[in-house]
Amino acid sequence: MAGPAHPNAMAPAKPGRTRTAPPQMPATWWSHPRIRTYLLFGSTGAVYLLLGLFALRVVWALGSGPEAWNAAIAELESPLYIAFHGLGLASVIFVGVRFFGFFPKAQPSRIGPAKPPPPPVILAMLYLAWIGVTILFVAILAGGLF
Amino acid sequence: MSTDSGNGEKKNFVITRFDPDTDEVPKTQEYEIPIQSDWKVLDAINFIKDEIDPTISHRWSCRMAVCGSCGMMVDGEPKLTCKTALSDYGDTVTIEPLANFPVIRDLVVEIEGFMEKFKRVKPWVILAKEQAADGPPKSERGTYVQSPAELAEFKQFSMCINCMLCYSACPVVANEAEFLGPAAIALGHRYNLDSRDHGQDERNEIFRDEGTVFSCSFANECSEVCPKNVDPAAAVNQAKFGAVIDWATGFIVPRGAGNAPEREEE
Repeated sequence: MAGPAHPNAMAPAKPGRTRTAPPQMPATWWSHPRIRTYLLFGSTGAVYLLLGLFALRVVWALGSGPEAWNAAIAELESPLYIAFHGLGLASVIFVGVRFFGFFPKAQPSRIGPAKPPPPPVILAMLYLAWIGVTILFVAILAGGLF
Repeated sequence: MSTDSGNGEKKNFVITRFDPDTDEVPKTQEYEIPIQSDWKVLDAINFIKDEIDPTISHRWSCRMAVCGSCGMMVDGEPKLTCKTALSDYGDTVTIEPLANFPVIRDLVVEIEGFMEKFKRVKPWVILAKEQAADGPPKSERGTYVQSPAELAEFKQFSMCINCMLCYSACPVVANEAEFLGPAAIALGHRYNLDSRDHGQDERNEIFRDEGTVFSCSFANECSEVCPKNVDPAAAVNQAKFGAVIDWATGFIVPRGAGNAPEREEE
């Protein structure tokens, strides 16, 4: 043990008569592959924050006239932005796959009389919906619908 | 300390020691002992206590993964030591008290906080008021009759042995002292799914409180370490759905009206 946990973690409301050692976390808690995956999952939030800021920057450019808009679009061609958006895509796929993997077991066993379909069917529905929404957005952005 | 009985293979055990009367903080002590190929980790700890150092304190009882007493950190992971084969580990095995719990002595942790969290979810069958007044419910099927399908709804979540490994693995428990935690929420959810129970409104209200189901970040560690395959992460996240659905339907059918009678605890 090394890292301290919350000093009151699992402590009773009234302390017992015996003095206790404070709760600890394992020294290597961060090195376990499952925990690393969990931390990676959490850290994708930073990528989404940056993507959100970038979206705001583009919206700001849209309202600032053609020159600002063209400059923002030109920036997108830089290798840095391409790499950043590649990271964003990887983050979305990673979070989606992880979320979909857990989704079936988070389903209530029934809602009223209705029972959810088997996990493979739920997974198929989720991935089909994901692909469908992606195609819809690509079609909109490519000018195919509007 | 070491001993040699001439049986061949030896392993080194690094065990956490803490005496509240003399130690400010826990320390470690090493023991080298001869082991047998079919030993569990608990066998090694018992050997050390019986043959080398009787001052070591640890909890154990059934030796068959039913009582839930012998949970400890083995090489940094929460394990039931009576179920954990020593052959799966290297020459040095580290044994510590369960993480995220105050330590009373050596490998013995304070479980009173755990028991307090259990009580909060009302882990018993709550009867509807008219049932409580008239005695056990009597339907055409008989008293408390439950079909296999109704039993299957919650059976998985009733297999918990309260070993506390899930609390030791949970990153939210480590950082949020108020968090009800996996086993308590799974137990509350188990009663919410029980066809005999009418206390869902009460428990869902508790589940919507701060430090309950919505504190869970779905790390899934509780389910990974559960020795009985209870899958507490599933229970916690199903309870999230239940709490939200209950909250939403509360706008349509107000509490205490229509088919939501006042409840009395059994």
